[in-house]
Amino acid sequence: MSIQRMSLNTLAALVIGAVIALTVSSGTVLSLLTQAIIYAVFAIGVGLLLRQNGMVSFGHALYFGAAGYGIGIILQLGLMPAELAIVVTLAAIAIVGLLFGLVIVRVPGIAFGMLTLAIGQMFFLTASRARGLTGGADGMSIDWPSTLFGISQSVLLRPANLFMLCWIVLVGIILLLALLLRSRFGSITEAVRDNEERARFIGISTLLPRAAVYALSALVTGVGGVLSALNTGFISPESLHWSLSGMTLMMVVVGGYKALWGPALGAVVYFLFKDILGDYADHWMAIFGIALITVIVFSPTGIAGALQKLRFRHQATPAKAAVSSH
Amino acid sequence: MLTINLFNGLVYGTLLIVMCSGLALIYGLRRVVNFAHGSLYMLGAYIGYSVAAHADFWVALFVAPAVMAAIGVVLDRYGFRLLQDRDPLTVVLVTFGLLLVIEDFVQTVWGKSNLSLATPDALNFAVNLFGTQVPAYRIGVIVVGAAVALGLSLWLRFSRYGLFVRAASTDPTTTSMQGVNTDALSAGVVGLGTALAGLAGVVSAPFMSLSPSMSADVIIDSFVVVVIGGLGSLAGAFIAAMVLGMVQAVGAVYLPDASVLLPFVLMVAILIWRPAGFAGSRT
Repeated sequence: MSIQRMSLNTLAALVIGAVIALTVSSGTVLSLLTQAIIYAVFAIGVGLLLRQNGMVSFGHALYFGAAGYGIGIILQLGLMPAELAIVVTLAAIAIVGLLFGLVIVRVPGIAFGMLTLAIGQMFFLTASRARGLTGGADGMSIDWPSTLFGISQSVLLRPANLFMLCWIVLVGIILLLALLLRSRFGSITEAVRDNEERARFIGISTLLPRAAVYALSALVTGVGGVLSALNTGFISPESLHWSLSGMTLMMVVVGGYKALWGPALGAVVYFLFKDILGDYADHWMAIFGIALITVIVFSPTGIAGALQKLRFRHQATPAKAAVSSH
Repeated sequence: MLTINLFNGLVYGTLLIVMCSGLALIYGLRRVVNFAHGSLYMLGAYIGYSVAAHADFWVALFVAPAVMAAIGVVLDRYGFRLLQDRDPLTVVLVTFGLLLVIEDFVQTVWGKSNLSLATPDALNFAVNLFGTQVPAYRIGVIVVGAAVALGLSLWLRFSRYGLFVRAASTDPTTTSMQGVNTDALSAGVVGLGTALAGLAGVVSAPFMSLSPSMSADVIIDSFVVVVIGGLGSLAGAFIAAMVLGMVQAVGAVYLPDASVLLPFVLMVAILIWRPAGFAGSRT
């Protein structure tokens, strides 16, 4: 995709966000959409790992929850201003992600997924038990200061403003990732993903790029965690639980991970669908379980894949374009 | 204190052996990591609970694994067999979807609150073991686990079908060219693996309470075991299950605050040393 096309798409996305923020007056709808956008950021992190490394993480809630806990603990102890706390927490997540990545991406195939599940659960148990620092299973509230980056909290937390903030972050992340992935880094990681041995033969070091993708996906997930901490002002071990990782993975697969924006679409569909289900929401696990199985079996590229196929058929573009879109 | 903990570690280790041999068998034949294995364990425990409530614990001990075996055969025939040419990731996600469906089913049928199954009368007494009183029922659990481990090892090593299973785990195509019906064999093995999950569920029901969260705890420990032991390796899983049980037991005495973390620390240490587990080969 050319740079002009990218900037045009970004601009269009920002305009759509502004239109939603200005026209939707219902606070509940906006807060539902805000939640969906926050999880869209989370899902993009998980989807990046799957798209670029071909690895499935069942433990990314670790980074989502860690962002909230990091900021919550720093603010509780009064170590530094909130703005710095956000930056330090995200930097720490990226560094920890890189260190974990260097160890765990070496584990072959599906054992990687089982490992991420176990590591995530380890932190869930730790956070549930460390009552002194994290409030244990009850969770902790995050003491945001009255102004953040010079904007007063009451303005920031107004539903339309918070929605717009999350939307801008989401669009920004997709743009930055798209730019990064069309650089040499994107080609290297794709080469390693498709055939690690051949990539090694042509002189690419294979461990570091994969660990870097893992760290990047942890960082993106962490950004989602920061937004969630801002939205709810509260963090509990639920945010670290494997079921959250699994739910996000479901959004990624249903949305389609081959396109960068697919997981975000999956998150929005998930939240809208869950809201429509209403009274049946008690059975959401079975409903989403069946939906997940159906999508994987019949449309492995998800909603995004189906949409792209539809568009290419519509434009009657040569087959080559359809292939390069992957 | 240490004796009773080591004893409980042994009990938990044998339970994990029964769980993990099912996981390893299914992985061996179908190259599927079954994320729903913990949910099948839970379903087995709840079925056992209902059968025991209407009949007797000893009936449940046979009925629940039999029902689970039937579920396993169906799962293989209409699930794994149809998906055998798909990317392994796809099948893992299908089993994850299945996990959600089973969890919902169990919560709908039996509710979300904790249930407990009484220890059968015949084993409801204490035994003196090296100066410590231990429940006889738990000794029974160890006996069942040891019988499963020994029986499976002998069956795989010496019987004709055991030979087929080992051959098909190594190379399914060549095995079927030699005239073995690998689809029927896989259905049987997945049935057996699922029955073992059900057996572990019924056996654990009298000493661990039944709740919808029971599946998550056990599947995570089982994954730690099979990852440490090497995917698909039965011997690796047996050793890793015992090591895990013992590490938790000793940890509970000497490092009570960190005992839940020890299995994970152990796993990370082993994976740094050998990324494919102790008995695993790189696949």
